[in-house]
Amino acid sequence: MRFPQNRTRRDNDDERILPLINVVFLLLIFFMLTGHLAASDPFAIEPAKSVSEGLDSPQDLLILISADGRTALDGIEMDEETVVATAAERLKKMSPAGTPALRLKVDGGADATHIVRLMQRLRKAGFQKLKLLTVPKAL
Amino acid sequence: MNLQTCEPPSLLGNRKRRPLISLTPLIDVVFILLVFFMLASSFLDWRSIELNTPGASRGGSRLEGAILIEVRAEGLRLSGESLGHDALIRRMKGLLAQETDRRVLVKPSAGVAMQKTVAVLDSLAAAGVTDLSLIADQAR
Repeated sequence: MRFPQNRTRRDNDDERILPLINVVFLLLIFFMLTGHLAASDPFAIEPAKSVSEGLDSPQDLLILISADGRTALDGIEMDEETVVATAAERLKKMSPAGTPALRLKVDGGADATHIVRLMQRLRKAGFQKLKLLTVPKAL
Repeated sequence: MNLQTCEPPSLLGNRKRRPLISLTPLIDVVFILLVFFMLASSFLDWRSIELNTPGASRGGSRLEGAILIEVRAEGLRLSGESLGHDALIRRMKGLLAQETDRRVLVKPSAGVAMQKTVAVLDSLAAAGVTDLSLIADQAR
């Protein structure tokens, strides 16, 4: 079998990278479909692991609590008093029809009593539904 | 076979055929998009545990029949009695066999990490507890 010898070098260049483009396109589509774009948290936490199957509800308010007691509401870092006050304020602005839910993203090393007390304060502020966000255990 | 014969005949003779669009800028853009999506997307699979209030979930008057589990730094306590994790689960299964919808209160004490509490909640839920609440001591 003989390959044609008279093809120019320039034509070959583009054709040689075609498989590369195929792979890169596949990777691009993979990352676009599997990952979800989300605003990054103001500080990093190591979330608690659990076997829970409950689903995340990204539209609800999110409170982030780190192991050393830093708190943030919807990606903006503020102290605990402000978090509770701001969350209560947002609750008043919401339509009364929907059930107010609040998600807590808590570091696995945070003090549990502190979190439970914060949850009690949030309930007093009117949030009836509190969700603790976890990640599945690594296999 | 000669591949040159497949090309459309050119009026200008056998001038070199230049591709209309070069692929290299395309790859540049695709690479940039790829890097963007790799860095910007998060792959953490978030789950949630719903936590009811001790009072509001259903009928606040059943607090006296509740089982209290304390999570302490040194171990677990069921109504004042120190127990290992497996013994607690066995005891809970026995209690639930008598009455299926008993309310269980989990009270972490000071200095217990959230991960440990969540693990206890997990294993209680796996043992079949449906009415699970997280409380704190009101002392302080």
